[in-house]
Amino acid sequence: MTLTLLAQGIVKRYGGVIAVKDGHLEVQSGVVVTLVGANGSGKSTLSKVITGVVAPNEGQLLLNGVPVQFPTPQAAKKRGIAAVYQELSLIPDMTVAENIWLTNEPLLGGISLRRGEMRRKTQELLDLFAGTTSNNLTPDTLVNTLPPDERQIVEILKAISSQPRLVIFDEATASLDRSQVDRLFELIRQWKREGMAIVLITHRMDEIFRVADRVTVMRNGQTVGTVNAADTTDREIVQMMIEGAAAPDAGRMPQIDTTAPVRLEVRGLRCGRLQRADLTLRDGELLGLGGLQGQGQTELLLALFGALPYAGTVILGGKPVRFRHPRDAMKHGVAFVPGDRATEGLLLSRSILENFLLPSWQRYGIIHDVESARQDATTAARDLSLVYSTLDAPASSLSGGNAQKVVIGKWLLRRPKLLLLNDPTKGVDVGAKAEFYALLRQLTAQGTAVLFYSSDDDELLGLCNRVLVLQDGLVRDELSGERLTRENLVAASMGTTHEQR
Amino acid sequence: MNLSSVSTGIQRSFPFVRHLTPPLIALLLAVLLFFAGGLVKPNFVNINQATNIVRLAAFLGIIAAGQTLVIISGGEGIDLSVGAIVTLAAMLTFRYTNGNNGLIWWGFVLSCGAGLAVGFVNGLGIALLRIPPLVMTLGMTGVVQGTILVVTQGEMLGAAPPLMAKWIARPLVFGLPGVIFIWLALGVLMWLLLNRTTYGKHLFAIGTNRTAARLSGVRVQQVVMITYMLSGLLAGFGGFILLGFSQTVFLQLGNNYLFPSIAAVVVGGTLLTGGMGSYWGTMSGALVLTLIDSLLRAMELEQAYQLIIVGIILLALITVYGRQRSLRQ
Repeated sequence: MTLTLLAQGIVKRYGGVIAVKDGHLEVQSGVVVTLVGANGSGKSTLSKVITGVVAPNEGQLLLNGVPVQFPTPQAAKKRGIAAVYQELSLIPDMTVAENIWLTNEPLLGGISLRRGEMRRKTQELLDLFAGTTSNNLTPDTLVNTLPPDERQIVEILKAISSQPRLVIFDEATASLDRSQVDRLFELIRQWKREGMAIVLITHRMDEIFRVADRVTVMRNGQTVGTVNAADTTDREIVQMMIEGAAAPDAGRMPQIDTTAPVRLEVRGLRCGRLQRADLTLRDGELLGLGGLQGQGQTELLLALFGALPYAGTVILGGKPVRFRHPRDAMKHGVAFVPGDRATEGLLLSRSILENFLLPSWQRYGIIHDVESARQDATTAARDLSLVYSTLDAPASSLSGGNAQKVVIGKWLLRRPKLLLLNDPTKGVDVGAKAEFYALLRQLTAQGTAVLFYSSDDDELLGLCNRVLVLQDGLVRDELSGERLTRENLVAASMGTTHEQR
Repeated sequence: MNLSSVSTGIQRSFPFVRHLTPPLIALLLAVLLFFAGGLVKPNFVNINQATNIVRLAAFLGIIAAGQTLVIISGGEGIDLSVGAIVTLAAMLTFRYTNGNNGLIWWGFVLSCGAGLAVGFVNGLGIALLRIPPLVMTLGMTGVVQGTILVVTQGEMLGAAPPLMAKWIARPLVFGLPGVIFIWLALGVLMWLLLNRTTYGKHLFAIGTNRTAARLSGVRVQQVVMITYMLSGLLAGFGGFILLGFSQTVFLQLGNNYLFPSIAAVVVGGTLLTGGMGSYWGTMSGALVLTLIDSLLRAMELEQAYQLIIVGIILLALITVYGRQRSLRQ
C-alpha cells in the first residue's frame, strides 16, 4: 500500500492577504521531506491544505495520481493523512487515553466503549517513548497535569494511533527535550522503513540533516525548490530561503553613540521558554530581536515589563530592579507595545480618549480634570497624525495602522525611557509602517532606548544597527556591522552560524 | 428587504433614533408607562402617585448601585449576596438602635461596616482565590443568612428609630421624602466615581479587556477587590435606608431586592459581560421595574400573570438593546 501525495499550484488567500501563492509539495511512502521557510512563508498553510483544515482557492491535490478534495480533516484522515500541530488540540480535562482515541474509540458492538482495550493500546503507544518521559505519563493521567513536552508526545501518539500513511509534523519538536527528539527521530526512521510518508516542518537546521531525505523550501508563499538532503548544505538552504528578496531599504538608525549611558542591562534572564538572555542597551539605541516566532522573544519583553515572573538580573538605568507588575515597570519609565492589538493592546469598545489615557489617569487628580486630559489626547493624536472621527469614538472604529498608533500613543504621553516593542507592525499597512519607523527614529534621537522584536526580517535589517537572534530560548547570535546580513539572520534563526560550519 | 436595511431606513427618517442609548430608552419607557397607567386606571396619573413610585424606585436604585459596579467589572461579575447584606444591615440597625434616635449614626456605621466586611470577603475569594463571582457571592449569601439566624435565634428583636422614618420615608421637603434626595445625591456621586476618577476608568478597562488593562498598568485584582467591597458597602447602606421605610426586619427583607437589582442594571443598558454601563441607566431601570410593578398591581392582575408580563417586557427590552447596539456600530 504505497502512497504518493502531490500538491501543486496551491493558492490560499485570507481576505486580501495571500498566504500561499504557489505551493508545491510531493511526498511518497518511505520518504521524509522537511518543509522549511522563514516566518510567514506559507509552510503551515500549505500543510493545512493537505490535511483538509483549510480549503485552497486554487490548485489541486493528487493522491496516487488521482485528484482528491478534503473538505474536512476527517476526510483527509479517512485517506490515511494525519497531522501533529504545534498548537495543541488536546482536551485538558480528559485522560491521555480518552484524548488519543477521541472520535476513534474502540467500540463493542458499535456502542459500548472497550476501556480495557483502549488502555492497553494507549500503553503500547506510550511505550514508544518509554524512558524519555516521567512516570506520571500513563493512559489514565489527565492531560492538564502534563508538562508541555509530554502533551506534545500525546499529540504525536494521537496522530499515529489511526495508523496513517502520511503524517505531517508541524514544528512538533519545538517543545520536546533532546532525548525525546532523539527518540522521535528513531521512530520516524522506523515508520519510514514501514512505508509511512512523512513531512516534517522544522526551524532547526540540524534536524533537517538528521532525518530528511528531501528538503522543500518555501519563500513568500511559494515553493522555491526541492533538493536531496544528501546533496545540499545548510548554506544552500539558507540561500534558497532568502534568494531574490528585496534589499532592505536604507533607513537605518544613525550609528549609536557608544558613550551614551547604558539604559538596560540583562544578565542570565530566564522566563518560560526563554532559557537565557544577556543584553546591554544604551540610551538612544534601537536593538532588534530576531529569529522565528515563539523562540522566547515575547517572554523576554514581558519579563522586562513585569508581566511575567522571571529569574536573573535586570539593571535599569544603573539600578537593579525586579518588577512584579507592569505598573512597577511603568513607574520606572518602561513602556510595552504588545503584539496583538485587539486582545492585548486596546479596549476596543471604549473610546479613543480612554485608550490613550489608560496608563496615565492618576495625573489628572482625584476628580479628573477632563479638559486637560482631552487636550493631552488631542495633542498625542495630532503628533501621531491619527486619522479619527472624534476622540469619543470607540477604538474599534480605527483602521489597523491607526489603532496601533493609539497603542503606542498611550505610552508616548508618559515619555518612556525604555520602549519594548513586540512585533508592532504586524498587520499594519505600508504607509503606517513608514510613519512608525519615522516615529522610532524621532524617539531614539530623543534618547529613548528601544528593544524591538519583529517577525519581519526586512524590518530588522532596515532599521537596526544590532540584532540579537533568538532560537530555542537562547541568544544564538548577535549581528551588527558587516555581519548584519539577511543570510546570517536566517542562518542564526535556524540554529547555525557561519563561523561554526 | 432585510432587517439591516429596515434599520437604516428607520435611521434616515428618524435621525434621533441613533442617539437612543439604552438608558434613554429605559427613561422614556418609564415616562410612557406612567402615562399608560392613566389609561388603565384614570386615577393613576397624579403627583402623589409619581412621588410614591420614585420613592419605591429609590430603595431599589440604592441597592442596585453596587450591583452596577460589579457587573461593569466583567469577568462574569455578579453579586448575589446583595440581598443578604441588605437584611443583615437592617437587622443590625434594628437591633442595635432598638428605636433609640441617638444611636442612628452608629446604626449607619454598623450597616456600612458589615456590608464592607462581607464585600471584603467576597473580594478576597474572587480576586485572590479566583472563585467565580456567582459561586463566591452565593456562598456568602448562605453564610450571612446563617449568621443572621444564629444572632437573632429567629426572633427579630428591636425597633426602628422614629427619626429614620421621618428623614427617609415620609415627606421631608416640598412633599418629597428624604430617600429621593439621598438617591439623587448617590446618583451624582456614582456619576463622579464612574466618569471622573481613576477607579472608574480602571473599572471600565477591566470590564472590557483584562489583559489589555493589565498591560497598561492597571492592577486588575486590586480593582476587582475594591469593586466587591464597594458593592457590599452600598448594599449595607441600602439596608440601613430600607429600614427607614420598612420599619421592621424579616429574613426575606433583602432577598426581594436581589433579582430586581440585577434586572434594574440590565434594563439600564449595562452589559452583563462588563465594560459598558452607567448608574443613571440603573436609576432609569429601577424606575421602569417599579412602574411595571405598580401598574400591574393597579390592574389587579393575578401574581402569575404579573410575572409573565414582567418577564416578556424584560426580554423585549433586551432584544431592542441588542438591535440598538448593532445599529450604532
